[in-house]
Amino acid sequence: MKRTAVSLFVWCAISAWAAAGYAKRGGGGAKQPAAEAAPAQTTDDKAAADAPAAEKPAADAAPAADDKDATPAESLDDDPTKGTKVDEGETAKPVKLTTTSWQDIVVVPRKPFLKTSRFEFAPFTGLSINDNLIRHYAFGADINFFLSDVFWIGVQGQYFVKAFTDREDLIGLQYNRIPTLNRYLYGAAFNLGYVPVYGKFALINKAIIPWEIYASGGIGWTRSEVIPRNPSDLGWTNDLLTANVAVGSRFFLFDWLTVNFAFRDYIMADKFEPTDRMPGQDLAAVKSNADSKLVQNVMFYAGVGMYLPARFQYKSPR
Amino acid sequence: MQKRLAFLIVAISVFALPLAAQAQHKSPLADAPAIRKRLELRSTRLELGVGGATTIGQDFYHTAFVDVKVGFHITDWLSIAAFGGFAVANLDTGFKDSVVGSLDTTQPAQPTRAPTRDEATGSMNKIQQMLGAQLEVTPFTGKYSLFGKLFAHYDFYAFLGPGFLNYAATTASVPSCTANGTVAAPPAQPASCAVTGLKLGVNAGVGAHSFINQFLALNFELRDIIAPNNAAGRDVNGDRRVDNNDLSYGNTFVASLNLVLYFPTTADISN
Repeated sequence: MKRTAVSLFVWCAISAWAAAGYAKRGGGGAKQPAAEAAPAQTTDDKAAADAPAAEKPAADAAPAADDKDATPAESLDDDPTKGTKVDEGETAKPVKLTTTSWQDIVVVPRKPFLKTSRFEFAPFTGLSINDNLIRHYAFGADINFFLSDVFWIGVQGQYFVKAFTDREDLIGLQYNRIPTLNRYLYGAAFNLGYVPVYGKFALINKAIIPWEIYASGGIGWTRSEVIPRNPSDLGWTNDLLTANVAVGSRFFLFDWLTVNFAFRDYIMADKFEPTDRMPGQDLAAVKSNADSKLVQNVMFYAGVGMYLPARFQYKSPR
Repeated sequence: MQKRLAFLIVAISVFALPLAAQAQHKSPLADAPAIRKRLELRSTRLELGVGGATTIGQDFYHTAFVDVKVGFHITDWLSIAAFGGFAVANLDTGFKDSVVGSLDTTQPAQPTRAPTRDEATGSMNKIQQMLGAQLEVTPFTGKYSLFGKLFAHYDFYAFLGPGFLNYAATTASVPSCTANGTVAAPPAQPASCAVTGLKLGVNAGVGAHSFINQFLALNFELRDIIAPNNAAGRDVNGDRRVDNNDLSYGNTFVASLNLVLYFPTTADISN
């Protein structure tokens, strides 16, 4: 009899433990819609709001919870019997299963990617888009340091490869003319950047990906090379002070990786082969007689951004 | 025997019951959509838009259009649309100015292969209209904030369909190109002709809506109409005659910005 009683006690204890564990995990069916409703409403209405306020989630949660349409900010365990499976057997009584309250549910999620005090190493490839006659492909990298989540300073270096377009090929055939062209060889710049636009998008309503649009500008150097119209003539290189402005975007994939796109316009006063160059003319004289013209080289870039440190920590409590 | 059986039952219970309880656990958000209570700003709505467009990177003329668009969104992510662009201005490019400016106004006494300025300009063609239809897929939808103050819904989409470009010669008196041109004996140059009329091509690109409210949005599109053309109206393949054999498929990039209205004026909200 005594043994039977002990066995019965052990059995009851195990059953109660299992039931409590199940209930704590949110296994109750009746509570589920309410649990979903809280993040659902605010995801749509407040989703973008977490952009500027991402680092103060605790403060954000309260006003969101105060929203009239949001689930009331009451304690989850105000009515402990509601929706929890604790009524197994007649001996089960309402028990306090959790200390979680609605205040603990962060309805405005944290900004999922922080950049402050991190380095971005961003290799890229680019393509010139505004020249009818010569196309430049660029290969290079940006190294940026983020002073805050929206402001950075950085350096850029790139190497250019040229290709002539079909139109350049046809100029001689159709108009009996040889175009005056320069090619770019290298470039380097010191840049500043600012992020005015931050957003998220849902990929067919299955995954949410944050992204941002930035503006950037800087000053640097470009080396160009004159392509002589007569192949037997000598060309020369020019070192050019270059200003640049850009708009671009980053798509945040992981804690350490982004995919980047940008349009950047390089503005410089390039020096071209003079149209009156005579065969065999002294190169120094030709250079001194070079035609200077303000030119714009608009490039489209695609690349990735790798961040160091690879991880980041939120400074404020959740 | 009974004692062993009781211990066996207890032992199995100790391990099996918690595991069973754990196995039943499933996140209440599993299989849930990324966004609930979402404004379905596109689903089963009609879209009407009007605005402007311009070509990008053309050789001889920048064309500015008045642009109109009508579309119907079958679902929140799939729609069909038609558009039309009607040229209001054709502006000379810097490249055209450079080329034409380097030519003589009249043929010199010893003729060269170079045309005169009028000959070169007359056979260059301009876009008069662009027309097309497109199937649009909108996989990306979301919200963005501007300076953390201004919030707006937006979407990105890609589209594909047929496109038409209607060309006209700069100088109306220049004859249109035919199937077989006349071969010019050297040193004479083949007479130029203009590529005119409606040319069928492929229309593809990307676009975005930025919603001002539930029924009004800005619509940006960047399209490429890949259609046969010979913009200069001069010999391309080097056979010393200018005809339709000189046509080749080229890119015509067009950026457009429309203000669009949606009907019905209120959007549904998802579950």
